[in-house]
Amino acid sequence: MKEKYIQILGVILSVGYGIFIVFLYAAEPRTLEEVSMKAKSTVENAVTKGQVIAGTYEIDQAKFNEGLQAFRQDNFVLARDGFDKADLEKRDSKTQFYIAYSFYRQGWGRISNDDALFKQSLDTLSRVTLLDPNFRSDDANLQLRTPVELKAELEEGLKVTADDFNPLRLVRERK
Amino acid sequence: MESEQPDIDDLSVVDAVLIEEPNDSEIMTAVSPRQAIVPKIEKQKRNENQKHYLLYFVLPFIFLTAALLGGLRLSAADNSFIFLKPALFCLIFASVMLVLFFRSGLIQLNGWFSESFEMAKNAANAAVLMSLFAATVQLFNSLLPEQGLPFWIVAFCFFWTLWNNLFADFDTKKLLQSLGGLFGLAFVVKYLVLANLTAPVSENWLRSIIENPAQEAFTWLLDLPRFSAGTGYIQFFAVVLYLIGLFLLPPTTENLGQNREE
Repeated sequence: MKEKYIQILGVILSVGYGIFIVFLYAAEPRTLEEVSMKAKSTVENAVTKGQVIAGTYEIDQAKFNEGLQAFRQDNFVLARDGFDKADLEKRDSKTQFYIAYSFYRQGWGRISNDDALFKQSLDTLSRVTLLDPNFRSDDANLQLRTPVELKAELEEGLKVTADDFNPLRLVRERK
Repeated sequence: MESEQPDIDDLSVVDAVLIEEPNDSEIMTAVSPRQAIVPKIEKQKRNENQKHYLLYFVLPFIFLTAALLGGLRLSAADNSFIFLKPALFCLIFASVMLVLFFRSGLIQLNGWFSESFEMAKNAANAAVLMSLFAATVQLFNSLLPEQGLPFWIVAFCFFWTLWNNLFADFDTKKLLQSLGGLFGLAFVVKYLVLANLTAPVSENWLRSIIENPAQEAFTWLLDLPRFSAGTGYIQFFAVVLYLIGLFLLPPTTENLGQNREE
């Protein structure tokens, strides 16, 4: 083989082997079987990140539909799992809004709200605002269609006021 | 016409230069020196190619394998892999080591990088030296205890030795002997002495104290990590691979391929 080809091939092989070693130390597989699993997930992540950079990123519609179905059945944990899998990069405002809404609905209580879930909802909601400041949901089943409305509801739920002791609160409805 | 006739008829005397017509064996004898040169050139080409394969394929493979193995440990509980990333100290020690290699002439920098070289050669040489650096980092990762007091003591010893070596007059042979001794001693300390002071993994804390009181005490006092015995074997091969790589490393790549050009 010509000297130059040996050198070029040497560089390519060294870089390839080096990348494999870096991957092993980053992924830290515990067994040989885990190596292939971690490699697969790393490649998938890299592809998704590449799509984000190229501007061709799209959510997994099938997983989103599964999540939406679970959301409408009030199975919020399963719904969030579906939404998370659909939007791996957390870059879709619609999916993130549903995640925030699922935290709200799960945390809502007739007597008292779950503050931890409400705070998680607020965190997710801030992401929605960053992704799309003018976001408005087209889902007719949601009474709070914009991040601002949902945020106001959540903040109201987190506050302790005299109104919280109003017995009429027991007849209020979840939005 | 009549005057020329007697000359032609008289063939007893020929006025000419005698030319000997060579037979086949004589031709072969005359050509044979050239035939002997052709295989010699081909052999030289093969040797040159082998040198290139060694430098650009085998050496990076050896160094990168040493780098891969250097941070690999096996868990004492289930022999699963544990990949330990190198501490900052390892990078500093590796940098000092490379300076030592340059100073001692083990690596002549101007024989590895030059404006007169082709870009591919400079890049390939850089890849080889990068793999050497990675292997050196991981070698220290392998030989330094992972945590606690032993880490600081051994790290200080390494630092002290390398710092002194920086200002000493070294030739290549002495440097390799010194490094062999240094790495050998560090290996013995970590994988024979400290490993034998480490108590085996036990689910029952009380029982382990009763069965191995001294080992439990040392493990607790020195904060020794518990690894499987296989770790020592892996690290032995990492150190041996590294030293083989250093032995095979040419001081310069300037003469590579020169014979072929000539």
